[in-house]
Amino acid sequence: MSSEERVTVAGFVLALDRCYQSDTHMWVSPNQPGRVRIGMDALGIETSGTLSELSFAEVGTELIAGRPFGQLEAVKFVGPLISPVSGRVAATNDEVAMDPGLAERDPYGAGWLIEAELKETGTELLGLLADRDEITAWFVAKIADYRLKGVIAE
Amino acid sequence: MAETLRVIDFGPSSPLRSQTLWHAIAYGVSAGAPATLSFTRPAAPYVCLGYHRGLDELDTDYCRENGLTILRRMVGGGPVYLDPDQLFFQICLPARAVPSGRSNALRMLLEPAVAAFRVGGVPAVLDDDLEICLGDIKICGHGAGQIEQAVVVCGNLIERFDHLRATRVLALSDPAQRDQTLALMRRFVAPAPVDPAVFQAAIVSAFSEAFGFDAMFGELTGIERTQLRAIDEQFTNETWLTGPGPRPPVTHTGLRARQVKVRARIWTLGASFDGARISAGVVRGTIDQVRVHDRGLNGSTRKVERALTGIPVDSVVPVLAGFGEPGRRLASAFATADGGKL
Repeated sequence: MSSEERVTVAGFVLALDRCYQSDTHMWVSPNQPGRVRIGMDALGIETSGTLSELSFAEVGTELIAGRPFGQLEAVKFVGPLISPVSGRVAATNDEVAMDPGLAERDPYGAGWLIEAELKETGTELLGLLADRDEITAWFVAKIADYRLKGVIAE
Repeated sequence: MAETLRVIDFGPSSPLRSQTLWHAIAYGVSAGAPATLSFTRPAAPYVCLGYHRGLDELDTDYCRENGLTILRRMVGGGPVYLDPDQLFFQICLPARAVPSGRSNALRMLLEPAVAAFRVGGVPAVLDDDLEICLGDIKICGHGAGQIEQAVVVCGNLIERFDHLRATRVLALSDPAQRDQTLALMRRFVAPAPVDPAVFQAAIVSAFSEAFGFDAMFGELTGIERTQLRAIDEQFTNETWLTGPGPRPPVTHTGLRARQVKVRARIWTLGASFDGARISAGVVRGTIDQVRVHDRGLNGSTRKVERALTGIPVDSVVPVLAGFGEPGRRLASAFATADGGKL
């Protein structure tokens, strides 16, 4: 990814070459026709706390947008990783499962979580944030909101 | 009008039900049942694994020979020993009622428990690691998770604690590491002298006040009873118990140290490499106690142990470099530990 495709917003790196699910902080990046890579953005990682475990549904499992595709554990808190798309799990990132810190160190690169074959190739990404200005505005607003609520430090 | 906090005291429950009852409540709360604070006390000792933890962390032969059921829960944390001397509370709320940041959510959900300890006469605090402590000592274990659209935090009032058995259930092949684990557990985990009835009443009040709830005693809904039977089956299923299994080693040698967390920032490790063996207790990043073995030490064993005791974990490898080939083997063993957790 070129440097202009990544910006730093109030201390958090944001990649602009992909789509985002605004509630869950999951990013979606097409990498082959009908297939996408999915990960969690830097802000989502930060608000989760230090990651201790990541686990994913097996390859071939059906994905439903808004339903879990795996589990994340941080500060003894186990919570679902919510799929931003419907389709099928095509690959899981074994490296990040073995070393969850990879998602913290490189959330938009080596710290990807799963790859999915999309159910509807033309429409699955329509509900996601895709415009760079919209993505940046959403990210700025989220950071302000989290700081106001004390979720992240000033 | 204030929302209701449903309060359910299940009293003594079988090991299985002491877990599945509150999981059923989580599904109920997710489906629209009110926020719920429940209590139970296991009627018999057993062992419980956190959602992601491997069965290989437990001495399953010991557990079987001693009639200790092993269960896996849907919330986080490590393997724990539970018995009738521990009163468990579980607070379950709709996810929408809880802050989005997990640390904040956990703090919000543990503060009422801290208040209850204080009402009971124990000046407990919630420390920076989100553990409920009395001074340096952890007095309450907890785990948390989101199940469907409900967030649940479980914790316990430890009336008496069987440190020996809590250590014995763990799979620890090195007797030195077992001794170190037991010593640190005795030093850093302790019961809290609080009357359980006082604690229960206080925690109901504290949660009601913190969230603006009206507390009302209640019982399981029909949906939750149906769910309970399904979870009973799930939790006794071998596949569920086996879980995700051990994570493969990530070290350059392909080996991985056995690490046991006693409480936040308190660990033991046991590691070996090419015949060298090191076991250590680590307290807040410093080697607290250590035992080493290597065929080439020729009477220098105590000297190595003295050199390592009291030093930061990131100084272990350079210190061992001063002990020739045995030191290099011991350093390689130590390098199989996950330093980020020490």
